[in-house]
Amino acid sequence: MIFGYLDAGSGSLILQAVLGGLAGIAVAFRAWKARMMGKKAIAKAETGAEPETVSDETAVNSES
Amino acid sequence: MISADPGSFRDPASRVVFEGDRVLRLLDERGLEAWEHLEPSPFFGHAVESGRLIATTKLDNAPNGAAGALQHPRIPFVSYPYEWTFSMLRDAALLQLDLLADALASGITIKDATPFNIQFVDGSPLFIDIGSFEKYRDGEPWIGYRQFTRQFLFPLMLRAWAELPFQPWLRGDMEGPTAGEMKQILSGGKRMKPSSLMHVSLQAKMEERMSGASVRGDLKAAGFSADLILANVRKLRSLVESLHWDHGVEGWSDYHTCDHVGRDRKTKGEFLRDALGRSRPKRVIDLGANDGYFSTIAADTGALAIAVDGYEPVLEELYGRSQGKNISIVVSELTNPSPAQGWAGRERPALMERANPDHVIAYGVIHHLIYTASIPPAAVLEWLRSFDAPVALEYVSPDDEMVGKLTANKLEQELHPGRSEAEFRVLLDRAFDIRKEHVLEGGTRVLFDLVPR
Repeated sequence: MIFGYLDAGSGSLILQAVLGGLAGIAVAFRAWKARMMGKKAIAKAETGAEPETVSDETAVNSES
Repeated sequence: MISADPGSFRDPASRVVFEGDRVLRLLDERGLEAWEHLEPSPFFGHAVESGRLIATTKLDNAPNGAAGALQHPRIPFVSYPYEWTFSMLRDAALLQLDLLADALASGITIKDATPFNIQFVDGSPLFIDIGSFEKYRDGEPWIGYRQFTRQFLFPLMLRAWAELPFQPWLRGDMEGPTAGEMKQILSGGKRMKPSSLMHVSLQAKMEERMSGASVRGDLKAAGFSADLILANVRKLRSLVESLHWDHGVEGWSDYHTCDHVGRDRKTKGEFLRDALGRSRPKRVIDLGANDGYFSTIAADTGALAIAVDGYEPVLEELYGRSQGKNISIVVSELTNPSPAQGWAGRERPALMERANPDHVIAYGVIHHLIYTASIPPAAVLEWLRSFDAPVALEYVSPDDEMVGKLTANKLEQELHPGRSEAEFRVLLDRAFDIRKEHVLEGGTRVLFDLVPR
């Protein structure tokens, strides 16, 4: 990962994918979906329930 | 002795210092790695050769324990975006986008997007922050996108779409307007433009909803690529190019058609050439430069001319004629010049501190200070004396036609003493010696070639 001294803004980063055209919208959707699944898994872990299978995308996210 | 540039501290990988007349950039290990990736790339050589990127050489020995050190030529005069005209900011924005597109083709990205990384030299924008470039890693988005919108795009939209000057905003908030603020400013029609919906409204919404979320990994995993940045940059370029400001031709833009201006211009020019010939200055500040006629005379002598005026339309026209000329343009009111500001009040030095002239032109200006801005004549002369440099001054008497217009609604007791020629000469005599003087046709204006006492 590039070390950033600049606060890029989370929403602005996702927006960039949308601004990249149709291919970008698909990327933004996958990124958004991964976030939602990640949040769901965390919520279940915090309530003591067994977490659902974490997607590959979320697994990669945890390394970033 | 090495001294740090007070405006270069945000990026720990790269910071500018001064060693005598030399401008050095000290790099840490990460900064050095980025330079070693940039320097051999086709992008770097081409950008420097085409005059878009500052010339840079690596030093064999880095001082102060730095991992590496680079040397740059000194920028003759540093100006800030809140002192630029609309077209200057637009040209700077296009340079920022073009460099990013070209750099990406060489596997390099620009990690920020601020006009403070761009300076104007000989009338053209020049990117000066070599430390902004680093290797592009697959899947990384453009970190500088939000900054680009706040510091380039939105200020340009302010002028083009809302008829508001961007300079006061950028001077008050150097980070620029947020997407949320722009949404409030733009009228319904402008807000509904497709580009506005994306860069303003949607960005405002997404920033609000996703504040603090870590998304870079998500984007990478989802297949983000440099092609998406390039597509965005191409569209942003078209948008920036489409932004125009029709400043009209009113007020001072018609200055040269005034009777006294056309009549006296040649004489004033000759008087100035004569004065500059005696002083042989290197840096001339033209106070109330208007269309830059006298700045151009100063630049033609080989000096750097710093043309300052508070009225943007005249400087916008001068910018269009300044390419290849040693003229620096500054939009700033003389009664309220850009102050020192930013971190610790030192990050962006005051205009007059940066100007540091060795000759001053004050033609057609002091009567506006005295009669319009109500500055006492003694204070005006004290200010001119503070430059500690020769001054080419045009004195305008109370009997002048223009002064009559400026004082049409003022009572005698509302005006400061020291305005008559006799009184003014007494004040002048306290601060300056007169090398030469010339009464202009009409008899109400006198040119002085002054040297400080």
